[in-house]
Amino acid sequence: MATVKINGKEITVEDGTLILDAARQAGFEIPTFCYQARLSRLGSCRMCIIEIGGQKKLQPSCVTPVMHGMEVFTENETVKSARASMLEFLLANHPLDCPTCDKGGECELQDFVFKSGPRRSPFSESKRRFHDKDKILSPVIIKNHNRCIHCERCVRICDEVVGRTALGSIGRGAKIMETSFMDSTLDCDHCGNCIEVCPVGSWMSLPYRYKARTWDLKEIDTVCPYCATGCQFTIGARNNEIVRVKSKITTGINKETLCARGRFGYNFIQSEKRLKKPLLKKNGKLVESSWDEAISFIKQRFGAGKKTAGIASARHTNEELFVFQKLIRDVFKTNNIDLDSRFANKWVTSSAIEVLNLAAGGISIFDALKAEVIFVIGSAISNENPITDYLIRQTAVDRRKTLILAHPRRFKLNSSANISLRYKPGTEGEVIKGITDFIEKGVFHGNVVGDISQVGEKFKNAKNITMFLGADILRLDNGTNVVAEIVALKGLLKKAGKNIIIQPLFDRCNQRGARAMGIHPLFLPGLKKVKENGMDCGEILDAAKKGEIDSLYILGEDIVSMYPDAKFAKDALSNIKFKVVQDTFLTETAKTADVVIPGASYAEKDGTFTNQEGRVQRLRKVISPVGNSKDDLDILCSIGGFAYKSAKEVFDDIKKEVLGYKDINFDALDGNGALVKGHGAENQGSRVKGQGASEIASASPRNDTSSNPYLDEYPFLLITGNHLFHSGRLSQNDDVLIKLLAEPFVEISEEDAKELGLTDKENVKVKSSEYEAVLKLRVVKGSQKGVAFMPENFDSVSVNQFYKKGQGIARVKIEKQV
Amino acid sequence: MLTDNTIENIKKALTKYPNKQSAAMDALRIVQEEAGYLTEDALLQVADMLDMPPPELNEVATFYTMYNKKPVGKHHIQVCTNVSCSLLGSEHIVEFLSRRLGIKKGETTLDKKFTLSEVECLGSCGTAPMMQINDDYYENLTDGKIEEILKGLK
Ligand code: SF4
Ligand code: SF4
Ligand code: SF4
Ligand code: FES
Ligand code: FES
Repeated sequence: MATVKINGKEITVEDGTLILDAARQAGFEIPTFCYQARLSRLGSCRMCIIEIGGQKKLQPSCVTPVMHGMEVFTENETVKSARASMLEFLLANHPLDCPTCDKGGECELQDFVFKSGPRRSPFSESKRRFHDKDKILSPVIIKNHNRCIHCERCVRICDEVVGRTALGSIGRGAKIMETSFMDSTLDCDHCGNCIEVCPVGSWMSLPYRYKARTWDLKEIDTVCPYCATGCQFTIGARNNEIVRVKSKITTGINKETLCARGRFGYNFIQSEKRLKKPLLKKNGKLVESSWDEAISFIKQRFGAGKKTAGIASARHTNEELFVFQKLIRDVFKTNNIDLDSRFANKWVTSSAIEVLNLAAGGISIFDALKAEVIFVIGSAISNENPITDYLIRQTAVDRRKTLILAHPRRFKLNSSANISLRYKPGTEGEVIKGITDFIEKGVFHGNVVGDISQVGEKFKNAKNITMFLGADILRLDNGTNVVAEIVALKGLLKKAGKNIIIQPLFDRCNQRGARAMGIHPLFLPGLKKVKENGMDCGEILDAAKKGEIDSLYILGEDIVSMYPDAKFAKDALSNIKFKVVQDTFLTETAKTADVVIPGASYAEKDGTFTNQEGRVQRLRKVISPVGNSKDDLDILCSIGGFAYKSAKEVFDDIKKEVLGYKDINFDALDGNGALVKGHGAENQGSRVKGQGASEIASASPRNDTSSNPYLDEYPFLLITGNHLFHSGRLSQNDDVLIKLLAEPFVEISEEDAKELGLTDKENVKVKSSEYEAVLKLRVVKGSQKGVAFMPENFDSVSVNQFYKKGQGIARVKIEKQV
Repeated sequence: MLTDNTIENIKKALTKYPNKQSAAMDALRIVQEEAGYLTEDALLQVADMLDMPPPELNEVATFYTMYNKKPVGKHHIQVCTNVSCSLLGSEHIVEFLSRRLGIKKGETTLDKKFTLSEVECLGSCGTAPMMQINDDYYENLTDGKIEEILKGLK
């Protein structure tokens, strides 16, 4: 510990603390430009200079650690005048075009000059001027080099946090320019983190350009509706219109960072295409109706007949999902309820719930990342959970840590990984078994590309291991085998006295919360086992095909677009007598419905999401639902006849039934959210394990890729997932995200491309036994041979059309388009 | 596009360095020696060969004034305008050359014989003001001396 005196005030801090931090702890604010806590130290802007007793030269406090007995002055005349001089230098070249700068009002340069700057400038030289017109670098980024003060925060965040290195400092001296390669968008993730960290208006958001003055915005903190990383952000609205999303350095696990989806994906809210009125099917056509008519029609028709079912999407809040399962279970008396339509079956999802220990309390990602070995399998994490990717990248810089990525595709985080494993989709279990066998017996079998023995060694030598399991595993019809192998590996490692954390990586914001709310055919709220097993999505469709389902309530899920066999899903749905779809857009599924009711987007309602860590976070209403659409909770309550007046009232009921939420205070949830506790661990293990280990085994024949008859004709295994700029089918309605990527593509390895004589960006024909389409090819160096990937985000070529029910992963061939 | 010869030479150079990135300056020199200047394509290709993000390689290429980003004339005149030279009149020298050659700094004469550039300190402050023409230094410059030098250049 070191005791220092700052402006006469004594304070004791850890050895090695920066003077800047010590001063802040003591309550003195020091202005900074180039300093940013999560970035490497630069010490170049000299804004943070302070005086140290006994030293003649002023020192930068952002790179100078305290020493015991040091006396520091941050506010004396010498410091103040030096600070003013530094600002004077910056202003010498700054255009001072604040009246037309989007940053005006929240510009650090403006604020510091106001507070500590010179009031006059003797410079008579003309200012440097790079360009007259700002440079549009991408559909979301616009740059003004003239305003730059060269703090290099943008360059560092892009390199160190985002992992893109799309920016550099070009040139030298006063004419240096922080920009991309030749002002292009080469290799850019369009995350806008450079915009966020820029202290001035040099990097700016193009969609927000000239939309508002910052002080005119109504700003509300809320949580991202896309992936389950659960980033916090602030929505800025003006005249009931959302004009921007901004991250905050003080809030959330993401702090100042966001990905393109979170930062720019708010435009779908005000899309022309939003559903604004209820629709009823009359004479085979969906026509607009009043709310009264729609609701009474549903009340009259829904649940009539033998079998009812409900399928929800994990984009809904805990409160909505809790009420939805009440509606299905309590009012319509059935356990036929499931979440999402992409996953294999209820045994796979329930075994994942078991191995991920979702019934236990949440674990902070920062605790999970303390382990020496971090192992990620089943998620193209850079695309699915971009901010989790950032956090892992920043941890992996530590040389004492080992980052192991196992996935068929090569993606961004691979460049930070110590070991990368490649495998064929469906053989995840073999990868895990290989590791177990190596640790146990020193030998292993299987077709994994990469050094399993090295992985095994790392596992053996570590005391703390964190495994991240991605949502890919939930899609595998042999997913239970994978889970079984993970359980075995975990058991072995535990026996060896190691601490193991297994964390989920989910691609929808509330996948974890949805399970806890009882959106599963086997589990009630709090993950309590049901008395009578319900049907999962696949079984519901099977039954529907046979004409055994009378009514189906679909809350926000697009089954026709997502179920891995589009044709089958459509056929099955057409056999259901009465279908209600509640959604924000007229999805392919909604088009098949008898009643379509317009729900609200994430910015139009209150509630909570539970992210993949188990962190409960508040979603806050910013604007009222567009047109005649309504808050989803109100809709569900009026159909079910529930008396809830607000999300908070539902939350209070959730607390009674879902034990892990018991101590959470809805109103007190702040930017850090609250981690859930265990839902009563006492019956956890026995419950899930006891429940049909044999059922699990029989429900999932091993996906044997070697003896498959399709393999010769259709040599590629086709996998899917979200593109970095998209999320399910929602984002294609966002007119900004769609500009970042408007068309699907097919991605294969460089090896395959060479063999087939195909080159990057050419058009190719992709064909399965079910469907064929022409797509742009993307070639990736270092991906697994024999695997093709297509994003699942586009109606134009819906990837699930290539899939055939019962086939597991789709098989396709790829040919030159002639 | 880099020529096969350039690619070969870069590959050879790579063997001299502990990792690919440290060959960046050498690789750029090789490209420039053979092509005269660095194009966007060349930078992208070299970046790929060195496993380096293109913006980082571009940082190197633009930091050093010795790398030409545009075609240059037969005689590349680089006048130092850093502190020592500037105190001893480099501003005048740039002006003089500019008038004499009929081009502004950064430009090349129509006959492609001369390019005039302004550069940072060339480490010859003791003999300021000075300039470099292609690989040679010319020091303690005066107008008369410059006339002589230019006359000597064909
Ligand atoms: S948008 Fe993101 S990836 Fe692109 S330059 Fe900025 S920080 Fe880098
Ligand atoms: S563009 Fe902004 S963040 Fe980047 S160096 Fe300039 S002032 Fe700093
Ligand atoms: S990482 Fe996920 S939660 Fe965070 S901004 Fe991106 S999509 Fe939203
Ligand atoms: S903030 Fe300390 S030198 Fe820039
Ligand atoms: S200042 Fe001109 S050579 Fe150093």
